[in-house]
Amino acid sequence: MAEFIERAKFTCALGGALTTIAGINRVIPIVHAAGGCAAALSGTYNLAAGYRGTGYCGGTMIPTTNISENNIVFGGEERLEEQIENSLEILDADLYIVITGCQVEIIGDDAVGVARRFKDRNVIGASTPGFLGNTFKGYDAVIKAIIKEVVTPAENKSLNTVNILGVVPGHDVFYRGNLDEIKRLLGLLGIRANTFFGTGESIADIRRYGEAALTIVFSNQAGIESAELFTELHDIPSIRTDLPIGPEATESFLYQIGEVLGIEKEYIEAVTEKEKRKYYSFLERIVDIYSDIDFQRYVIVAADSYYAYPLTRFLANDLGWIPFITAINDITDEGEQENYKKKFEGITSVTKPRVTFNQNAGELIKEVRGSWPFNHNQKYYDTFGPAFVVGSSIERGLAEKLGAGFLSVAFPVSNRVVLSKGYVGFQGGLTLLEDLITELVSAR
Amino acid sequence: MGNYADSLTYNYLGADAPPTREERIGACHAFCGSCSELAGGMKTGCAQLQNRKFSQSGGCQLNLAVGIVSSFTNAVMIIHSPLGCCSNFVGNTGLRKTMRASKGKPNEEFVWLHTNMDELDVVQGGIDKLRKAVLYAEREYHPDAIIIANGCVPGIIGDNIDSLVGELKDQITAKIVPVHCEGFKSKYVASGYDSAYHGVLKHLIDPLKKEISAIPGADEEKDIKDRYRISRTVNIFNVGSNSNGDEVELSRLLSAIGLIPKVLPLHASVDDLKHIGEAALNVSICATHDDYLLGHLKERFGTDYLIDTLPIGIRNTNQWIRKIAAYFHLEAEAEKLIAFENAELNKALDLYKPVLAGKKVFVGGGETRILTTAEFFYSLGMELVGVKAHNVDRFVDDMIDDMQAPELLIEVGAGQPAEELNLLRKLKPDLYIGHLNANGWVSKLGIPNFPLFGQSLNYMGYSGAFELARKAVKILKNTNFVRNVSANISLPLSKEWYNRDPKENIKEAVNF
Repeated sequence: MAEFIERAKFTCALGGALTTIAGINRVIPIVHAAGGCAAALSGTYNLAAGYRGTGYCGGTMIPTTNISENNIVFGGEERLEEQIENSLEILDADLYIVITGCQVEIIGDDAVGVARRFKDRNVIGASTPGFLGNTFKGYDAVIKAIIKEVVTPAENKSLNTVNILGVVPGHDVFYRGNLDEIKRLLGLLGIRANTFFGTGESIADIRRYGEAALTIVFSNQAGIESAELFTELHDIPSIRTDLPIGPEATESFLYQIGEVLGIEKEYIEAVTEKEKRKYYSFLERIVDIYSDIDFQRYVIVAADSYYAYPLTRFLANDLGWIPFITAINDITDEGEQENYKKKFEGITSVTKPRVTFNQNAGELIKEVRGSWPFNHNQKYYDTFGPAFVVGSSIERGLAEKLGAGFLSVAFPVSNRVVLSKGYVGFQGGLTLLEDLITELVSAR
Repeated sequence: MGNYADSLTYNYLGADAPPTREERIGACHAFCGSCSELAGGMKTGCAQLQNRKFSQSGGCQLNLAVGIVSSFTNAVMIIHSPLGCCSNFVGNTGLRKTMRASKGKPNEEFVWLHTNMDELDVVQGGIDKLRKAVLYAEREYHPDAIIIANGCVPGIIGDNIDSLVGELKDQITAKIVPVHCEGFKSKYVASGYDSAYHGVLKHLIDPLKKEISAIPGADEEKDIKDRYRISRTVNIFNVGSNSNGDEVELSRLLSAIGLIPKVLPLHASVDDLKHIGEAALNVSICATHDDYLLGHLKERFGTDYLIDTLPIGIRNTNQWIRKIAAYFHLEAEAEKLIAFENAELNKALDLYKPVLAGKKVFVGGGETRILTTAEFFYSLGMELVGVKAHNVDRFVDDMIDDMQAPELLIEVGAGQPAEELNLLRKLKPDLYIGHLNANGWVSKLGIPNFPLFGQSLNYMGYSGAFELARKAVKILKNTNFVRNVSANISLPLSKEWYNRDPKENIKEAVNF
């Protein structure tokens, strides 16, 4: 049984389905649920993903059956059929995805079955009630429906094409910028990356994703089921890796992919050398101020598993900060927690972070207080500082209590506007550096 | 208009949840046509029995209910539901911070818990988890109130929240307040306000017991002072769309005629709520929000109430002051104030009138707010081309008659941007004023616009009227943003839809 969560950094499966669909060009959700679900859930990511907005057909524009008590008693399938029929006339899209809320699933409406009747008019369906789980469940439900119904099976694979999974639009606040950089990086090795949500990608492109030779999953929680379905239906193997932030992680990411796809090491070396030279030519600019004022910080990272390790790795291995606590909020299975912890063995700083798993946001402050010696009013006391918190907007209160610097990166991010920015790769490492150091000088 | 509320009764506290507004007052949430057609339809009851063939996501009473109760000082919210219900708190926590700051209240971290109901809970019930969440909230945060709002899932499976409240209420210090607001229960989302106030009335409004002084005669003196204070006190009932600027302005106006204003209940503490009965008059600034609360307080404490217009624009602010003043026989004071304020304001507005004269305006949002806003811009010489109301009920009967515009186009629907954009594309207003979540679509259509309310926008009273006019003029000074957006960003509506009459989308149907 799942536990209650204090200040959950997630929405439900339906919310996850909505943010995923909103990430694909010219695709429209048709929501079979009570009237408020769609706009409210879409609102979660519109506001808290760096003001991502409603997009093409989000928020109040989302077609919804608006079922009420009458339908709870008598069923809502007819109403859904009427809504699909009218949505096809009034709304303009390349694909329509019927998704469901809690109410209609409890009463047993077969929404996916109703959607199937409209298959020849580009309608597909996925079951996404809120009680199925969090955002990630909705992401996988939608992507699986697309893999099943939209992606065309291909006999011949294109050996230098890969599919990208695990980057959840909105939940990764920087997903557009991140995906564009992943595309650019893989492009340097002559690899074409299919990302579902990247700039310029459309349903016409997604239909051809069956031609890929490999799936790369950037998450331990989202995209795993979808990757398995790619294997099962389209014979595409998959690997899991971590989001590469900064030069060290990006270099090892490129070698990892190169090895799987059989790209020559010398070639990868030449590419990364050039990129690293460029990276450090920019980094050089902050060497003076970093050293003259001592910009090294103790750092607390609070994020989901998608960002927690990649951020800690960059801050410790590349920037030379002292990782103190890394708190992860989305892994509940103890076995998976142990596996995730192992990643941190590769952190190269003298001090390794304490890695914790807790879904309740308010408990992190207790963790911090409990892991640093108390001040008993002694004359000489080693305080916890100078410190920095890299987390979500919810950790702003923690940073204020600790007197620490603060940058929100993981969802929710409601104190920054994010447009094209990304934190992945060589370029993203520089952007992250700019944002961190800007925070330290911004009061000047 | 007070007459309509007088015809209603409010003794519902014996039940766990209030009746929905469909049952209690009847309302229209789907209509497209002229004001006179709507007024006729409301009287015959036909307008209340309409629905849509194609509908879009509107509101949920859960969000409106929680909007009120989550504002209380030192309260912890528990959302008993799967994760999604109120997941938008993650984007709104900062609003609480800025709202409290604007009112000069100390910053307070907003804490909420989700019971995170999953498939197993749907089968087995979620009461155990809710119990754990309540005990956690008490232990970790020692709040004055723990407020439980429930979504559709516990409503359908029949979780008995009230019996849990009965079980726990003597074990913990915080008041536990259940708010029943399942989204599927009502298409009239303002039912959520009644849900919130039902819980507040039942579990938080607990008048303080008087202490008896040991000093002879002290009680008598204090009683006289208290009675005098209470006889001059007016409770102004604020709503989520009020800014602090609005509250300051309305308080200023009532103070100016010798009354003692008190603003409640949003952002109040539990202690403030205990004193809610200590007033001579309760004044609503929006019937849609609080007739349930005010009607109940009248029945319980005998406090008279006034539900009239919204004090927006000159005419309606004048009317609002006159009605309140009349209750206290302060007519002369009120007329003096109105004459002085109107003269000053009209002089200031003279600068703006030539800019706005003849320009077309469309207003969309809550029924009373849009009608009063429309009246104000009309009074400045603008041409009113249409209005769109989230819903329409009998509280605005008089207001629609007062508009004296039987042919004026009115659309009724919460959200429903497809119908609204269809109309706007045909009407081509120069300026659109709309509720949250509508303005972005209007920008994509290329129509200059500004929001119907805002945290930092003073909208009400005389100062609000000036700010409104000033804002309208400001927006029209440079319309390049919407021009560029509409030229480069597309809307998801088909060409065929724009050629159709949105009226075709409305059908006769049951309203529950």
